[in-house]
Amino acid sequence: MESRHLTQEQADEFALGALEPDIERLVALHVAECVSCRDEVEAAERLASSLALGVPRHTPPAHLKRRVLFAAGIVRPGPLGRMLRFAPAAAAVAAIFVAIAAFTGMVSVRSQVGDLRGANHDLKAQVDEALAQKVQIAAISLRLNQEEQKSYDLRQQASGDRDLLLALLSPDSYVAEVFGVDAASAAVGRLVWDEDQKRVWFVASDLPARPTGQTYQIWVDAGGRYVSLGTFNSDSAGFARYDTIVPEGLTSYTSAVVTVERAGGAPERSGPSVFVGDFSRFQR
Amino acid sequence: MAAVAAQDDYAFAVLYDRYVDLVFSAAVRVLADSQLAEDTTQDVFVRIWRRPEAFVAERGRFLSWLMSVTRNRAVDELRARGRRRKREGSSLGPPDDANAMPLFPGESDDPLHAAQLHEDQVRVRRALVDLPQDQRRALEMAYFGGLTQQEIAIELHEPLGTVKTRIRLGMQKLRKALTSRDGL
Repeated sequence: MESRHLTQEQADEFALGALEPDIERLVALHVAECVSCRDEVEAAERLASSLALGVPRHTPPAHLKRRVLFAAGIVRPGPLGRMLRFAPAAAAVAAIFVAIAAFTGMVSVRSQVGDLRGANHDLKAQVDEALAQKVQIAAISLRLNQEEQKSYDLRQQASGDRDLLLALLSPDSYVAEVFGVDAASAAVGRLVWDEDQKRVWFVASDLPARPTGQTYQIWVDAGGRYVSLGTFNSDSAGFARYDTIVPEGLTSYTSAVVTVERAGGAPERSGPSVFVGDFSRFQR
Repeated sequence: MAAVAAQDDYAFAVLYDRYVDLVFSAAVRVLADSQLAEDTTQDVFVRIWRRPEAFVAERGRFLSWLMSVTRNRAVDELRARGRRRKREGSSLGPPDDANAMPLFPGESDDPLHAAQLHEDQVRVRRALVDLPQDQRRALEMAYFGGLTQQEIAIELHEPLGTVKTRIRLGMQKLRKALTSRDGL
């Protein structure tokens, strides 16, 4: 077989598969190395294969196509199949786009967070500034209130002074001198009684301020019974000025006395006397 | 086939539609069993899809190569299962069918291809019809039955030399009939 080429008869027998296995194997070995014999065999095989074209027709079952495509690993041929085949790649590309978008979004979010942080910082500064201004406003308000209180006190004092002045100028008022009980005391006082205004003023100087828990209390003698006109205290300079409304029904009074009582005043005269005054000596 | 080689599944589906009848019919002709023919048909097409480079266009037409592949695969199956039948080769159809209805009506999506395939089939059938019965039978027993010349001689109770002569003459006449117009 190696020494000579195949005859056409041998090539035909080989193409038909009619050779004995041993001879067929030898021919196959020769054909694998001999180009001219291979051409001869291939021509014979093409001729032999034409026999298959003349066989009766048998229609394969419809499911065979699905079986074949499935066995070939084809889910669905055609455009849809291509789409399915390329779906993973498309998904990967989409994933890349999503990742890029996510990254871009993340950068954008980071930028937005940075902007927000900046805005928050500015806002905090504004809030701090507003709080500082609020504190300043509160301090100013407090000072204003204090000043208003002072103003109010001054107005009250001025009002009282004006009323006292009016009382001193009124023809219906009386001024009584009161005397200190303690001869060593330098304190002096005056009692102004205004019938028209139904008000009483007591003014004193060099009157020692009473310590905590004590107060001065002024009384008038109304027919043997001392009626309280109220309590007062002197300031650190020893000046005291007290005014009050004449109690209703008090029409008869002959004298006045200032005593030292416990803080808040006493219902009955009980403490030591500081001043005494005789209304009979009222001066108009 | 180039598209199939490029793993174009749509082209593969088209190729299947064009040739499945031929492949399946040839497999049935060899195996005489539809189920086995289905298995063989599946195996043939899957091999084409997975190893399209096995077909070399310079060596001949795809149809001839496909039929050779189908026949070889079917005969391998036949031999493997030990079902070598002592068939004389069932008839390829009555001789007067040669000009009758086409064996494989043109169902292809390509009318030109269908027409050419039909023409090939008619020519083959005419050539086979023109063969003497004993020569055609010897060829069929070898090609479709997977029998060697010795086995055919035993089956036919004829001398080996007679069988060899019938095969030789049959192939010569077939070659003359089919290559006179164009080569298969």
